[in-house]
Amino acid sequence: MTDAYLRIEDLTKVYERGQVVALRDLSFTVAKGEFLVVIGLSGSGKSTLLRCINRLIEPTRGKIVLDGVEITGLSPSRMRRVRRRIGMIFQQFNLIRRSTVIANTLTGRLGYMPTWKAMIGLFSQDDRERALENLARVGLREKAYVRADELSGGQQQRVGIARALMQDPELLLADEPVSALDPATSHSIMQYLEWMNRERGVTVLASLHFLSLARRYGTRIIALKDGQLVFDGPPKLIDNAKFKEIYGEDAEEVEVR
Amino acid sequence: MRDYPEGYLSERPSWTTAAGLADLVSAKLTVVGRGLSRSLLDILAVALLWVLVTYIYLWYGHKIYGYTVIPWWLFGVLTVELGALWGAFGVSPAQRLSGRRLVREDGGSPRLSQRVVYWLAWHVSVVPVLTLLVEPPLHERLSGLRFERVRTTGAAPIPWYRTSTGLYTAGVMVATVVAAIGVTVTWTNLQRLISDAWRTAKFWQALVSPDTSILQASFRDLIVTVFMAVMATTFSVIVAVPLSFLAARNLMKGPLGRIVYTLLRGTMSIVRSIEPIVWAIVFLVWVTARRAPFAGLLALWVHSIADLVKLYAEQLESINPGLIEAITSTGAGRLSVLRYAVVPQIINPYVSFTLYRWDINIRMATVVGVVGGGGIGQRLYSYVSGQQWSLAGTVMLMIVILVWAIDYLSARLRAKLA
Ligand SMILES: Nc1ncnc2c1ncn2[C@@H]1O[C@H](COP(=O)(O)OP(=O)(O)OP(=O)(O)O)[C@@H](O)[C@H]1O
Ligand SMILES: [Mg+2]
Repeated sequence: MTDAYLRIEDLTKVYERGQVVALRDLSFTVAKGEFLVVIGLSGSGKSTLLRCINRLIEPTRGKIVLDGVEITGLSPSRMRRVRRRIGMIFQQFNLIRRSTVIANTLTGRLGYMPTWKAMIGLFSQDDRERALENLARVGLREKAYVRADELSGGQQQRVGIARALMQDPELLLADEPVSALDPATSHSIMQYLEWMNRERGVTVLASLHFLSLARRYGTRIIALKDGQLVFDGPPKLIDNAKFKEIYGEDAEEVEVR
Repeated sequence: MRDYPEGYLSERPSWTTAAGLADLVSAKLTVVGRGLSRSLLDILAVALLWVLVTYIYLWYGHKIYGYTVIPWWLFGVLTVELGALWGAFGVSPAQRLSGRRLVREDGGSPRLSQRVVYWLAWHVSVVPVLTLLVEPPLHERLSGLRFERVRTTGAAPIPWYRTSTGLYTAGVMVATVVAAIGVTVTWTNLQRLISDAWRTAKFWQALVSPDTSILQASFRDLIVTVFMAVMATTFSVIVAVPLSFLAARNLMKGPLGRIVYTLLRGTMSIVRSIEPIVWAIVFLVWVTARRAPFAGLLALWVHSIADLVKLYAEQLESINPGLIEAITSTGAGRLSVLRYAVVPQIINPYVSFTLYRWDINIRMATVVGVVGGGGIGQRLYSYVSGQQWSLAGTVMLMIVILVWAIDYLSARLRAKLA
């Protein structure tokens, strides 16, 4: 437990509306540099878990400790300080549709700027250069001045990755980053995440729908069912029986190549 | 074996039954009606334009009444011919109103030769009405042209009677026809048959005989009205934008937020349900009648706030929360989230709604003026109550032109934003 980078203890989330228990006394740790994949059926609490970690959602009970800092008790301003080192990418990409690709990428720096500069959009020359670099990294250098909604889904997700890169993240949360994409594009996006994990030493927590993707990219897999942990271990330990337990008796494994 | 429609061999042909025959007749009538109404509309439009131009020219040039200059029979033939030409070679009023235009079979725009054939064949096809029973009509078939709905990309085309521009144009046309008939009635001796017709005729005649002497003064009032609307809109935006954030359900969470939301929305819907006229009366009493334009302005202001808060807040409620999550997760502060996640999603709709409200306010400003709220409306009211019809007519004409122009302008701007 000494090198636990992220520690989650008895995390519980109850949504007031509808009295849904999305997470139930969840505990696990993540070591620095891991590529942790979260799997589970729809509604099992994957999104809720990821959003609790950067407190987009307030946990009802439990503790989240990141790099020795207990996140759950932080004041809003200190929380923002922590958040800027936690990148996040989304299933629906969540870009400013009417803005250019570079403007979207630059928003990754907002956590590092004084409010007045953010208000008038005064990004430093350094930030702009880094935005172009990061766009080049995801192969979108020449699309920098195109409106975000003119890009394909895969390209939009790459902008999302560039935006996260701007944050200099130590931790990346990816909530079903490839669920809206076709298999080939999915692999290209996952490879960018893999690159961040291996070359930049970013710890990645990604929720995925396809077990084949989870096996291929994850160094470790955790599985949720009704907000509880039902599996925690390396990908190769998920056998047929385990698979049936996670996804239910009638499930068939689907391959994504 | 061929596939006959069901019952083709076993049942009687549909046209042998009364109901089937009725169906057939009504279908054919629809076809004829469509073809005929298109042509008639164009002819009518030409006739109207002609009469208007000659009437205005003769009255102002020579102080005599006249409509056609040429004999009536020649006028008839010429208008029919011009209507046909307009329909064949240009975009005629009927085509505009029905939102259709002539295209080649393959969808391209017609060649000149095809237009000529269309125009020539039109005479054999439309003039002896019965030939219109053929569908598609002869002239369309011969020229290889057909009517196609004009497509506007993005939005569904709006029928003319749903746009205020269309309605105003129709209104002006009807008013002109009525006026022309009214004047004709006095001109011939038909007036004795209907004793009251004389009065109305005089009224209509006066209405369409603008009095230029008040043009300058009215223009000044017109500007007052426009400014009333502009200022009311501006001030209401200043109040409505912040209020809209308090009136958006998705932003007002927690028990206190719920209370503020409910109170605000409730008040606004009450305020909105009271007509601007009533507000004008309230404010006239309040700020006294000597500052009439101010009272009118306040009335528009209050009503606009209520209206805009609702429109704005509904827009806020429909924004994508994902972007808020994305910007928040970069570590951005509350204001930055507002600036980068909320504002980009609402700015265009907000401007659009503001323009729309400004457009309404211009019209409302004249109405408010009628109860004494100042501006051109008040002038109109004083002329009408003083039975100075020709002065009233001038003012009305100016209002129509103004409203039409603003309406057009704001529609164009809003289309740009969409
Ligand atoms: N805002 C909310 N209010 C009330 N209940 C919610 C809310 N968000 C999620 N839930 C409930 O919490 C449970 C877990 O939802 P969550 O979105 O975390 O699941 P998920 O594993 O991400 O599913 P999916 O794969 O469909 O995205 C579900 O039962 C869901 O209905
Ligand atoms: Mg989810």
